[in-house]
Amino acid sequence: MTTVLEVDREPGAPPSRTPARRRRLWTDAVRYRWLFLLMLPGVLYFVLFRFWPMYGARIAFKNYIPFLGIDGSEWVGLTHFREFLSNPDFPRLLENTLILAGLSLFIAFPLTIVLALLLNELRLQILKRTVQTLVYIPHFLSWTVVVSITALLFAIGNGPLWTFLGWAFGTDANFLADPDWFRPLILMQEVWKNTGWGTIIFLAALAGVDQEQYEAAVIDGAGRWQRVWHITIPSILPTIVVLLILQTGQILNTGFEQIYLMSNSLNRTVADVFDTYVYFAGIEQGAYSYSTAVGLFKAIVGLVLIFGTNWLAKRFNQQGIF
Amino acid sequence: MRSRKRIPVAILAVGSLALTATACSDDGAGSAEPLESLDIMAPFFSAVPPEEDDPIDAALSELAGLDISVQWVPNTDYGAKTNTVLAGDDIPDVMVIQGKDQAFVQTAEAGGFWDLTEYLASGDYPNLVTENPEVQEASSVNGKVYGVYRARDVIRSSVILRQDWLDNLGLELPETTDDLYEIARAFTEDDPDGNGEDDTYGMINPMWGGIGNGSPYDAIEVWHGSGNLWTEEGGALVPAFTTPEWSQALEYERDLVSNGYVNADYATMDPATWNEPFLNGEGGIILDVQSRAAQLVGLFKEQDPDNFDKYVGLAGQLEGPNGTFAMPTAGYSGFLAVPRAGVQTEEQLKQVLTALNELNTTEAQNLMNHGIEGDNFTVEDGVAVFDTSKQDFTDQVTGAWAQLGMNVAGYNAYPLQQPTEYDQALYQLRLDLQAEDLANAVFNPAAGFVSPTYTTNGAQLDTIIADARIQYIAGQIDEAGLQAAIDNWHASGGDEVTQEINDLYAELN
Repeated sequence: MTTVLEVDREPGAPPSRTPARRRRLWTDAVRYRWLFLLMLPGVLYFVLFRFWPMYGARIAFKNYIPFLGIDGSEWVGLTHFREFLSNPDFPRLLENTLILAGLSLFIAFPLTIVLALLLNELRLQILKRTVQTLVYIPHFLSWTVVVSITALLFAIGNGPLWTFLGWAFGTDANFLADPDWFRPLILMQEVWKNTGWGTIIFLAALAGVDQEQYEAAVIDGAGRWQRVWHITIPSILPTIVVLLILQTGQILNTGFEQIYLMSNSLNRTVADVFDTYVYFAGIEQGAYSYSTAVGLFKAIVGLVLIFGTNWLAKRFNQQGIF
Repeated sequence: MRSRKRIPVAILAVGSLALTATACSDDGAGSAEPLESLDIMAPFFSAVPPEEDDPIDAALSELAGLDISVQWVPNTDYGAKTNTVLAGDDIPDVMVIQGKDQAFVQTAEAGGFWDLTEYLASGDYPNLVTENPEVQEASSVNGKVYGVYRARDVIRSSVILRQDWLDNLGLELPETTDDLYEIARAFTEDDPDGNGEDDTYGMINPMWGGIGNGSPYDAIEVWHGSGNLWTEEGGALVPAFTTPEWSQALEYERDLVSNGYVNADYATMDPATWNEPFLNGEGGIILDVQSRAAQLVGLFKEQDPDNFDKYVGLAGQLEGPNGTFAMPTAGYSGFLAVPRAGVQTEEQLKQVLTALNELNTTEAQNLMNHGIEGDNFTVEDGVAVFDTSKQDFTDQVTGAWAQLGMNVAGYNAYPLQQPTEYDQALYQLRLDLQAEDLANAVFNPAAGFVSPTYTTNGAQLDTIIADARIQYIAGQIDEAGLQAAIDNWHASGGDEVTQEINDLYAELN
């Protein structure tokens, strides 16, 4: 990386495409061939799985029939979008999606920062390492496993947590089917599964905080809280903002697997979100054009939100992501 | 630095486009020449699909007079694969189509499949003439038969009970829905296992999505006389859930639940664990297909080899308060359709139909369902006895080749040898109950109609009703809430579906 930076700092290099410039490009390409090679899998991934599918996204504006193929299917303009936005389910889907996304953004995301700060304050290295490893583990379990564990814990009649809660609070609620418990359960699963993993980036940012500032603060008589508040948080604020911007772009992507597995007839009124709707419409009913339109709609909303938060961040004198 | 990176990206992008383009232009177009081989696409359930040099393949090819070559697709991926194949160039001559979903219907209506109605009715292919016209009609698309259906038992629904509990309490097998209610009560309240503890309940119901697809609730509703998904009222078809009989059935179901005669986790229980409460002695009634009884007997045999024949009681479908009605299955599981892309001329189509006709002979049925006689099975006293040392091959035959079986004109392969006399008696009982219930079967009068609105919105429409049903049973909503859900169904496209179904009904009847 350092060599690349050095090249970047080289003065001169006019933007015009002179033969000399082209030759230099080639020699650079040869010189950094290993870096390009390293980049290859990532680029391939994006081309194959991110850019190439966009070509197929035009079926959102067509009445796609597999037999006729993408090219042979008839153009229908914005029909599918109109149909979706005027669907009686739309307000409910939007509400459920936004509430779940809000819980994730305003509760799960700050918890990640809190956990990272707590870990950072641990002085005993072996304890810190152990705790870190333990909180990473849930991330590697699939949602199917997490949901199965939840189902076992809360099973009516013999689930350990169900029994305990009944004993402690005298409740016999059917947590898995009660619509009032759906969102808390989803949030708890999300926090349990992803909070630990989410701390990684913050811990990396925390490791980069200038230690001399702490030493100076200690000499000035700052306590632990004050050091966290006046040094640690301001230092990692750019990281927090970047992650927040990325997170808002994902706002309509409520984890499909988790919600699909947790939903049932009794809690569906609060469990139906855009992702499950796309699954039902697209995969179960084969309405490819329609569900592509819904997916595209989600992507556009995500894009608008990313730009919006980015703009907001810049207004508040923070670095955005672009 | 940016412009430097751009070059390889562009090269890669162009390169991968070119790759994809060449990969797509695979030559698969048919010609007008007579067919020499028969390419079939079919799902398989076995661990591994048969190879190209499979002995069954050779034997069937000889029977069919064409070299059969099957593209085996794992059953779980089959739906997705069907759509990709339909969208591609390399289309087989015969495809197993698993359901009348949007992609299939649109393709068929766009002319992608041969309309076989006339050919099958002509009688030129005697083994393709259905013995069950109602089922063939149900498999059709608005009067057009696009495929030879794969026949399944028409009656499968039954009541499975803990026979030992009935014996302990001195109760008989149920004959009416009232009997069932009383048994569910007794299984819950009268300590059927005699251990002095209140640790049992009556009926075991798992989580179930959709309506009219064989759930315990569907069975109870049909028994009450609600009709099967659609029912005729004054010359028009109305959804079964708008009938008073349906509401009556729902009240029955709600009473079962509110009195605790059903497992508490009926809304969330994984259907894959349906047997467990029955085996563990927690619940005592399962409303499901007859074959589950045989499955349970097998499981009890492992648990208690000496008394395994004392646990499972099997009863046929029940008489309801409004008469005797039995719930049939669709009677078929998909069909073998002939795409026009591969089979282009009528002569070729006749070749294909002749081959399919041969695949329905008794000889072919034995090959597809049992294997090679004298190799992996032998015939003793008219029943097929398998060679256990060749179990892998047998599993492959039953898990793959059997999926090509149509058996529309009857199934005459050797019956299977049952392990014990008890199993034999149970098997005979199933056949007797099937014959008895078939006389009362209530078919869905709209099964053969494809409503465009239902094809696009059906899953959501069904979910509205399925969810409202469970919410009502759970006491989460009352009659007004149930009515609101039905109104929502009407407003969300249900009215259009009703209109389209009735137009087709008027046109085709």
